[in-house]
Amino acid sequence: MLLLSTYFLFSPERRTANMAASGGRTVGSFLWKCGNCCFNFNTVSSNLTRQVLSRQLCVSAVLHRKNLAAAGPEKFSEEFIKKQVEEFNIGKRHLANMMGEDPETFTQGDINRSIAYLFPSGLFDKKAKPLMKHPDEVFPKQRAVQWGADGRPFHFLFYTGKQSYYSLMHDTFTKALAVEKHQDRLRGKDLFTQDAKQISLVGSRWLLKEELEELLVETISEHDYARFIQLMERLLSLPYCSVEEDFVQRYRRQLEIQSSKQQVQPLQYDQHGVAYSTGDGRRKTAMGTVLLRDSGSGSISINGTNYVHYFPVLQDRQAGALRLAISRAMLSFLSEGQVETMRQAGLLTPDPRIKERKKPGQEGARRKFTWKKR
Amino acid sequence: MAASVTGLLKPWTPRVLLVRWSRYNPYYLEPEPRKEVYHIPETELTPEQKEERELKSVRPIKAATNSVTSSVFNDPVLSKFVNMMMKDGDKIIAKGIITQTLENMKRKQVEKYHKAPEVKKAEIECNPYVIFHQALENCKPVIGLASIQKGGKFYQVPIPLTDNRRRFLAMKWMITECRDNKHRRTLMYEKLSQELLAAFSKEGNVVKRKHELHKMAESNRAYAHYRWW
Repeated sequence: MLLLSTYFLFSPERRTANMAASGGRTVGSFLWKCGNCCFNFNTVSSNLTRQVLSRQLCVSAVLHRKNLAAAGPEKFSEEFIKKQVEEFNIGKRHLANMMGEDPETFTQGDINRSIAYLFPSGLFDKKAKPLMKHPDEVFPKQRAVQWGADGRPFHFLFYTGKQSYYSLMHDTFTKALAVEKHQDRLRGKDLFTQDAKQISLVGSRWLLKEELEELLVETISEHDYARFIQLMERLLSLPYCSVEEDFVQRYRRQLEIQSSKQQVQPLQYDQHGVAYSTGDGRRKTAMGTVLLRDSGSGSISINGTNYVHYFPVLQDRQAGALRLAISRAMLSFLSEGQVETMRQAGLLTPDPRIKERKKPGQEGARRKFTWKKR
Repeated sequence: MAASVTGLLKPWTPRVLLVRWSRYNPYYLEPEPRKEVYHIPETELTPEQKEERELKSVRPIKAATNSVTSSVFNDPVLSKFVNMMMKDGDKIIAKGIITQTLENMKRKQVEKYHKAPEVKKAEIECNPYVIFHQALENCKPVIGLASIQKGGKFYQVPIPLTDNRRRFLAMKWMITECRDNKHRRTLMYEKLSQELLAAFSKEGNVVKRKHELHKMAESNRAYAHYRWW
């Protein structure tokens, strides 16, 4: 118990005096690069998307750090961090023993659960709750001292101020030149073809600006980020860019397959052994629940009455709610491919459209008051 | 995790409201309601289609609207026409008029078919949907006019039209023609079926209007260089 008190670290951000205004899940002014990157691979950003898409990306610890490259001397030395890592590992084992579990297979999820059990916190702010994480996740990544004992910097681009960024740009351009040289050699041997194997870009996206900053341990501006993406696109435009595929893939992240996010409930069976499943859907303020029975006669009844009598008119917004409910109920009966087909047909997304609010100074959402000249 | 974009995928209201915005993120793709697209086996896909499929598997898809269905009777052109005819959001009445129009056209054509000699029977088209589409095609203008100001005066300059604009003009002319130039007692569906059948055989007021537009464009050919796009 004595040792454990040092392992519960409150996140360092709480101690900083000036919290950035963009804390928490507020709609801040970070630009939404992902949409730009994935929308059209060849252009970096469009003005319209910049105006429309202001959204904070994610609440990771990275965003709360103002200066990744620490402005002053190193806050935490290497030995300090190593010691923290050792203490964390020992503490993990102690915690596992305390909870009566196997120390070898004690995962981070188990740690979180144990801490929540041992130290129940009634606080609402997530950052105030006790946490026990690997020191790499808690302490910000920072750079080691960049110059030697004689005061001379190690990196040749140190005096640019953004040495990692510029060295990355230089590397990328060197790769591009290498690819062009390769192409020239092939042309010399008459083996050059336009349709060489291309790198598959579908299903992955460029690194976000924040992720790049994390990688380089350096703050870069949007302009720098834009130039970097431009240079990578230029590299990709060469026909034989697959030579440098590993380099390119290091700066791309895989996107998750959307269909894996669908929660398919397992089939339930009633007392006669007939399979059935339920689904519910909502649209605007209409709500509907559906009970689908297997191997039935195909009759559809709504609130006891036949559907033809209930819906004399073809279109109703209750129908939108019911459509979603029926699609969700059907999911348990269908195979993976069919579920994906349904998703791509737009049947599984809940319709987010709502009535637009009325604005002050206008009569309705869009209608303005009658204009009178005097 | 910084890599996940789940925070972006929820429906949202942008902080700065522009005139045209939607509850969906631009990250969402349009849904594909037609069934035949999904029945193509893996082997017969072109590389573009394969890429599109892979893209669709990683992106969220918008919900399909109520008016769009996977059934064989779903016609996007007809839906657009119904929407354009609709007044005050009364789609039931508009859809009713269109249904009556199609029925009327079919009746007239079938009557003509039965009255015609054997030789001519094969040429008479009885499918009202085919007639509708062909009539609309015949009404679409190829070139349009734009009012461009140059040196204090406004000139009518011939400009190319996009497909959407052409379709819109054809439908608009058809509807205005049927609303305005009819006898007080004729019903809308009656007049509409007459106009559509006339347009199918390239007669009638709507194709006349299209030809007039073409003639105007031809006569204003000299100003074509005023267009800068």
